[in-house]
Amino acid sequence: MNWQPTYAILIFFSTIVTYLCAYKIEKTEKKWHKKKYLIASLIINLSILFLFKYYNFFNTSVFGLLQELGIRVQLPNFKYLLPVGISFYTFQAVGYTIDVYRGDIKHEKHFGVYALFVSFFPQLVAGPIERAKNLLPQFKTYKKFDYEKAVVGVKLMVWGFFMKLVVADRLAIYVNSVYGNVEYHSSISLLTATLFFAVQIYCDFAGYSNIAIGCAKVMGFDLMTNFRRPYFAQSCAEFWQRWHISLSTWFRDYVYIPLGGNQVSKNRNYINILITFVVSGLWHGANWTFVIWGALNGFYQIVFKIFRFNPGKKGRKERRPFTYLSNIILTFVLICFSWIFFRADSFSHAFEIIKRMVSELGPIFIGDNSSFVYGIFGILLLFLKDGFDEFLPEKKIFFSSSYRSVRTLSYAVVVILIMMIGVFDGGQFIYFQF
Amino acid sequence: MKKFVKHLLLGLLAIALLDFAIGSSLEHFYFKQDSGFQYRTTYSLNHVKDDLMIFGSSRANHHYVPHVFESELDVSCYNTGRDGTYFFYQTALLKTMLKRHRPKVIVYDFYGSFEYSQSDYDRLSSLLPYYEQHEEIQEVLALKGPFEKLKTLSKIYPYNSLLLNIIKGNMEFNKERSKDFKGYVPLPNVWNNTLEPLKTASEYQFDQNKLKAFEEFIYLCKKNNIELYVVVSPVFYEYESDFSIATCEKICSEQNIPFYDFTKNHAFLRKPEWYADILHLNQIGAKKFSGMIADSLQVNSGHLKK
Repeated sequence: MNWQPTYAILIFFSTIVTYLCAYKIEKTEKKWHKKKYLIASLIINLSILFLFKYYNFFNTSVFGLLQELGIRVQLPNFKYLLPVGISFYTFQAVGYTIDVYRGDIKHEKHFGVYALFVSFFPQLVAGPIERAKNLLPQFKTYKKFDYEKAVVGVKLMVWGFFMKLVVADRLAIYVNSVYGNVEYHSSISLLTATLFFAVQIYCDFAGYSNIAIGCAKVMGFDLMTNFRRPYFAQSCAEFWQRWHISLSTWFRDYVYIPLGGNQVSKNRNYINILITFVVSGLWHGANWTFVIWGALNGFYQIVFKIFRFNPGKKGRKERRPFTYLSNIILTFVLICFSWIFFRADSFSHAFEIIKRMVSELGPIFIGDNSSFVYGIFGILLLFLKDGFDEFLPEKKIFFSSSYRSVRTLSYAVVVILIMMIGVFDGGQFIYFQF
Repeated sequence: MKKFVKHLLLGLLAIALLDFAIGSSLEHFYFKQDSGFQYRTTYSLNHVKDDLMIFGSSRANHHYVPHVFESELDVSCYNTGRDGTYFFYQTALLKTMLKRHRPKVIVYDFYGSFEYSQSDYDRLSSLLPYYEQHEEIQEVLALKGPFEKLKTLSKIYPYNSLLLNIIKGNMEFNKERSKDFKGYVPLPNVWNNTLEPLKTASEYQFDQNKLKAFEEFIYLCKKNNIELYVVVSPVFYEYESDFSIATCEKICSEQNIPFYDFTKNHAFLRKPEWYADILHLNQIGAKKFSGMIADSLQVNSGHLKK
């Protein structure tokens, strides 16, 4: 992934293409012509994405396979690095074109407003992937400073920085040392690293989302919620209603439903689910590990569907505590297992991790004691807040106290914790790479 | 808007007050430590007065036994080696120390790579607690990034992630747990693996800052009439060549600095029982090695010859 200023040309090009195509789609009467412009927009945008993100993967995989069959063809590799945020703005622009084609929204006539929609800086590099229906009208309304919104925005940003710097980057130190040297680590260390990675990736991305949403809020814009405490989900289906919501709903609306969604036969529906999740996996990265990760999550959905297991539909009061807790744990374990493929460098690396997890007994690797303790402390604080928000939203303590002084002090303490135990060196948002 | 700005300022004021109070406490207790690696850095920077000094990373710290040098050479010795610290740290340390004390001889244990690595810049954080005290440290920390000066407006920032270490360093039990002998920390365990070959990068792009830091170290020694010996201490793997060691040797030869490479020393390659791990000698190996270096200094040093 790369930050080169010249890559701004790409986003500008994508903006022009989708703007013109959407204009033509709306202006043209004939359905076939509308479709033609939609296809043109999709091909151009997705080709750019393919070239930068998937070409080398395709080149190595497909031609590698052909070589196995005795057919020797090899294309040169593409040497440019992946532009930051390309997957996010491409999906946002493509989503807009599809919405215009479907007649869900009107084409935005003002090019500047549309360009702002594609390149709105708080969420440009890592989402949330906004819908034109939600964001475009906001650019046209007169923005008067909104005190309440600004306060909520600043608080979201503070909590986002806590998630990123105190929890995600701290846990990354442990995860990188264990996953980077699998051959030296015992099952307990690998399990701990996997558990830590689950929390790390949540805090990395939800942290960024909070910062982006908070930043936009301070300026008076409402972006969609992207995470709702996903590790309290009671089923894998519910997990995806809480995890990276903007992307999940994008795939639902623009891939799953056009494939027929659940308005088809059972078997076809299962295939649709699998395709959607595999594409989602591929969206995350050009590597077979992401494909497996996506397929595994699709498989979970199908199995849960076959057994009609969707306890998330029940209200909180209808649930039995033990069943509720075991559902959460089961879901968490399954999701953690899939994260192994997401984090591993290769297929064989993932299998080595799983193999050692079940076979290599031994003491736990702690690494730097202090760092380990800060990591655990961060996790506890995170789950304490998420736990209160999830189970006791009516409790008015700390961040939601009815006393302003308590609320202010709570956030001041979070800022102090960031300065005291946050990691300030060499961090990167994992999701920038998508 | 006014209300928001007012509350934001109040929030920032609360943070500033907390930052000052907590940061000052951390500062107080950081410099009150009387054991541990942070204490040793403070001692090296602000108090050390010995004539023979060892510089380097963990390999310096665990390989050179000051008592061996003191008894063999009749000279006072201190080991300033610290885990995970390389060129920038050592040059900053020497530069700062020279303001108040000039050792006669320095043994520089060379380990590290001249290749660019962001983590080597990140490691400079270990010098942040001394930012306010020493100009020399400020110069080095500027390499970390353009905002370092701004960040140090916070009293807490220099002690980021150090809370537990500061608590430990102030505990009485830590003196026993993390015992040092004039800076040297012995490693008791024994490595019993077999010798393995190692391939290193044959060539890479130099980090000019690292090269400059190493050359500045040499320059400072020459300028202050300090005898400098550059040593690559033993490792328990066999590598054919190492680009960084070759570069170091070349610089030393150009600057007329004695250079000793022990990585291919057969005495050490045949003795896994002298190692604690692949990169570090244990206390037995350290004593043997220190004896060898002391003998060599006795023969070659103008300042230490009996």
